[in-house]
Amino acid sequence: MPQSSNANLAPPELFVPMGKWAVAQAPTLIRTLLGSCVGVVLYDRNAKVGGVAHIVLPDSRGDTALPGKYADTAIPAMIADIDRQTGRRSMARLTATIAGGASMFQTSTPSLNIGKQNNEAVERILNQLGIQIVGRDLGGDAGRRLTLDTNSGNVSIRIPGGPDHEI
Amino acid sequence: MQGLTLSQIQLRLIASIFERGAEAASRALTQWLGRTVHLKISDVDQADITEVAGLLGPEDATVAVCAMSFAGQLEGQLLLVFSDAVGLSLVDLLLQQKPGTSTQWSELERSGACETANIVGCAYLNALSVHLPGNSATDTLIPSPPEFRHEFAASLLEFAVMEQASVMDRVLLVKSRFQAEGADLDWALLFVPTPDSLRTLAQIAP
Repeated sequence: MPQSSNANLAPPELFVPMGKWAVAQAPTLIRTLLGSCVGVVLYDRNAKVGGVAHIVLPDSRGDTALPGKYADTAIPAMIADIDRQTGRRSMARLTATIAGGASMFQTSTPSLNIGKQNNEAVERILNQLGIQIVGRDLGGDAGRRLTLDTNSGNVSIRIPGGPDHEI
Repeated sequence: MQGLTLSQIQLRLIASIFERGAEAASRALTQWLGRTVHLKISDVDQADITEVAGLLGPEDATVAVCAMSFAGQLEGQLLLVFSDAVGLSLVDLLLQQKPGTSTQWSELERSGACETANIVGCAYLNALSVHLPGNSATDTLIPSPPEFRHEFAASLLEFAVMEQASVMDRVLLVKSRFQAEGADLDWALLFVPTPDSLRTLAQIAP
């Protein structure tokens, strides 16, 4: 039986810039490019809905201007968006994958080396919310391209010049 | 944190100071490469951090970069960025090889790119330090040795603006483009001050 002409269409893609998050349902690829920032992926396998946040700093300290910038505001905001997409409270079904936090250049000043603080803040918040972290790809000195396939829940990482690998 | 937003007048004044750096770097590069190269300030950009990823073209394009930090009256990052093809062409030119001879970034090619960055960066920073209002003759901007990397364009930009982004939501970077004998070269020189240096620049151009 011939396949529909739609079968070969590439899934739509969303790009997540620094300090933002995006949530979508299958079939969508959500992508971001990371350096020392941390990417947080949340995924509801039953609903095939997921999100990616591109987090810059660990703590908002009450700043509300750009909630996607901080771990303590981006993660709850993304969960609320996932709840809106699924029409129910999703937190108990969510799994998390985190990546990024590189120290990219030796020329970086110590104050730039905040990848570790970001990683720790994200892990602490996810633990407090009871969300299981099923994959990590953290640290190192290279940027990462992170892609969430909302159809499968697979998260793939590419470093410059390398192939995609799943985590 | 909205941070520091500079007026159009301040941005124009800052651009005029950076033009002096570009002129000096053009002369140094022309001498180094043996052909006329002109470096021109394309933009003094103030952008929301959410808009930074695309400032060098496609976010996931892989670029070659030589990164230097600098210290002195101003501090920050200076990045010489080029596409692979253009960077390798530069190396062929430097080594007086037939175009297309260099096909990958081995130690020799990286060294050639970093030496070019060193020459451009030092000339640029020296001229800046001379033309910064209030600077004495002994004030200099001192660069670190260049570090070569292959990076995604958006990851590189994220690194470059990270220190500003840690205290403000809008960031400033100065982007210079190269022209060689009338043709645009696909290179960029990015000057990204620290937050304190951004405040210094704002005071220079009140």
